[in-house]
Amino acid sequence: MLDLRTSTGWFFSLLGVILLGLGVFSPGLRASLTAVNVNLYCGMGMLAFGVVMLLIARKRS
Amino acid sequence: MKLAPADYLILAIYFGFVLGIGWRLRKSVGSSGDFLTSGRSVPVWITSLAFLAANLGAQEVIGMSASGAKYGIMTAHFYWIGAVPAMLFVGIFMMPFYYGSRARSVPEYLKLRFDEKTRGLNAITFAVMTVFSSGISMYALGLLLQLVLGWSFTASVLLSAAIVLVYTFLGGLTSAIYNEVLQFFLIVLGFSPLAIMAVLKAGGWSGIQSRLPPVMTHSWQYMSSASQNPMGVDVFGMVAGLAFVLSFGYWCTDFLVVQRAMAADSMSAARRTPLIAAFPKMMMPFIVIVPGIAALALAKMSVGYALPLKAGGGYDYDQAFTTLMAQFYPSGMLGVGLTALMASFMSGMAGNVTAFNTVWTYDIYQSYIRKGAPDAHYLKVGRITTIVGTGLSIATAYVAQHYNNIMDILQLVFGFVNAPLFATFLLGMFWRRATGHGAFTGLLTGTGMAALTHGLTVAEYKGGWIAPLHQFPSTMAQNFYIAIFAWTSCFLVTILVSLLTTPRPPEQLQGLVYGLTNVPHDAGVKWYLKPASVAVLVIAVLLALNIWFR
Repeated sequence: MLDLRTSTGWFFSLLGVILLGLGVFSPGLRASLTAVNVNLYCGMGMLAFGVVMLLIARKRS
Repeated sequence: MKLAPADYLILAIYFGFVLGIGWRLRKSVGSSGDFLTSGRSVPVWITSLAFLAANLGAQEVIGMSASGAKYGIMTAHFYWIGAVPAMLFVGIFMMPFYYGSRARSVPEYLKLRFDEKTRGLNAITFAVMTVFSSGISMYALGLLLQLVLGWSFTASVLLSAAIVLVYTFLGGLTSAIYNEVLQFFLIVLGFSPLAIMAVLKAGGWSGIQSRLPPVMTHSWQYMSSASQNPMGVDVFGMVAGLAFVLSFGYWCTDFLVVQRAMAADSMSAARRTPLIAAFPKMMMPFIVIVPGIAALALAKMSVGYALPLKAGGGYDYDQAFTTLMAQFYPSGMLGVGLTALMASFMSGMAGNVTAFNTVWTYDIYQSYIRKGAPDAHYLKVGRITTIVGTGLSIATAYVAQHYNNIMDILQLVFGFVNAPLFATFLLGMFWRRATGHGAFTGLLTGTGMAALTHGLTVAEYKGGWIAPLHQFPSTMAQNFYIAIFAWTSCFLVTILVSLLTTPRPPEQLQGLVYGLTNVPHDAGVKWYLKPASVAVLVIAVLLALNIWFR
C-alpha cells in the first residue's frame, strides 16, 4: 500500500523548492506589512520538513 | 488580493497530489468494508492526524480566528476545556465499546446496544447533519474566495467539491483519511508563519496585552458573571454547556470523528488515536485563534492594517484571517496559505462525505431499503452515495447563505441533535439497565427540549418563537444552556423509561456495556504508550495552558 510519508515528503519538498526559488531569484516579492523575505524562510522550512519525511520513509522501508 | 502564476502553480500541484493519492489507493478498494471503513487497517499516526483534520474545516479556521478577534483568548475554551478533555474520554472510556463491538458505525453501535428505532433515529439525524455541515463549510469557502479573490462563488464551490468527490470516489475512506493527513500538515505549515509574524508585528503577546482590554487576553478571569465578558457566558454555562455537553457530545458520539479512530488497525491504536490527536489539538488555538487576536491589536496600531468593516457598521471579523494573509504573505507563500485554506475546506468536506456514505449505506440502505444483497452491491451503493452526498452538500451551501455567524449556527445544530446524544451513550455504555425504549424516548425528549428552550428564550434577536420568557446576553450562552437542558432531560427520561421497561439479558450485552466487556489493559505495551500515561501528559500540558492564559 501507498506510504503516506513518501507522498507527503515529495509534496513539501516540491513546495519548498518553489518557495526557495522565489525567495532567491525574486527577493523583491514582499507583502505590505513585513520586510522579511517570507518565501525564503518558509521555503527552507518546508523543504526541511519534506526531506525529513522522505528520510523517515526510506529508513522504515 | 491578487494571485500570481506561482500561486496558481502551487494550488495546481496540491490538486495533483490529492488526486494522485486517490488514484494510487483505488486498488485498495475491493469490498464495501474497504470503501466505507478502510478495512480497519490504517496506522495510528495517520488515524490520529485525520481524526483532527476531519474536524478542521474552513469554517473552523475562519470562524475561530473571527471569534478570536471578537471574544479574545476565551475562544480557546473550545479547545482547552472543550475538545481535549472529551478526546481523552472517548479514547480511554468509550473506544473499547465502539471498536470492541465490531460495529461499523456509531448508529450501528446503538442498534447492537439498544434497538432498531434508536439506530434509525440517530442514523437519519446524523445523515441530515453531515450534509448540513458540509454545505455550510462549502458556503464559507465559496463566499471567502469570492470576497478575497473575486472568484465566482459557484465555480470555486464546484471545483473543490469535484476534487473531493473524485478522490473519495476512487479510494473511499482510506483516500479521505490519507489526504486529511496531507491537509493537516499543509494547514499547520501554511498558517503558523502567519501567526508568528502577526504576533511579532503586534509586539509579541505582551504587546497585544498592552493594546487590548484585559478581557481579550485572559481566558478565566472574567468569567464569574456573563456581563463581564464579550461572550456573555458564565463559568457554569461554559463548563457544563460547552465542555461537558457539547464537546463530549461531539467528540465522543459524532461518527465523523469516531469513524477515523474506528479505522485504526488495532484496539490499542483505536484508543490512542484521540489521545495522540489531543496534543496538536491543544496547540491549534495558536494557529487559528491567536492570529485573530493579533489582527485586532494590529488594527488599533498605526501600521497600515485595518480590519474590514461590515456594511452595517462594526468589524467584519470573518475577514480577519484572510486580510492578515494578504498583507503578510507575498506571492508564493500566499499561494501556500490559500491552498491551506482550500485544504482545510476539503478535509472538512471529505470527513462529512465519508461519514455520510457509511451511515447511509450500512445504517439506512442496508437496514431499511435492501437487506441481504451481495457485498458488491453495497460497494456500488457506497460509490453512488458519494456522488449524491456531494450534490446534496452543494445544494445546502446555497441554503446556508441566510446565516452569517457560522460557528453559532453550527453550535445550535449540535445543541439540538448532539447534546441529548451524549446522555444516551453515557447511559448505554456504563449502565446495563438502560433499555432501547428508554434511549429512544430520552433522545426524542432531549431534542424536543432543545427546540423548546430555543423557542422560549431570546438572544441577539434569535429564538423566542414560542414566547420570549428569558433573555440571554449572547447566542453563545443561549446555545450552551439549550445543550444543558437537552442533555439533562434526555438523561432523566432515559433512566425513568428504562426502569419502567424490560432490560435486555446480560448475555446479549457482552462487549457493549461496561462490566460485561473485557476492557484491554495493554499488557506488554510500554508504560509511556499506555492510554492512561498519554492522558496524564495531555492533562499536565492542558493545565499549564489554562493557568498561563488564565
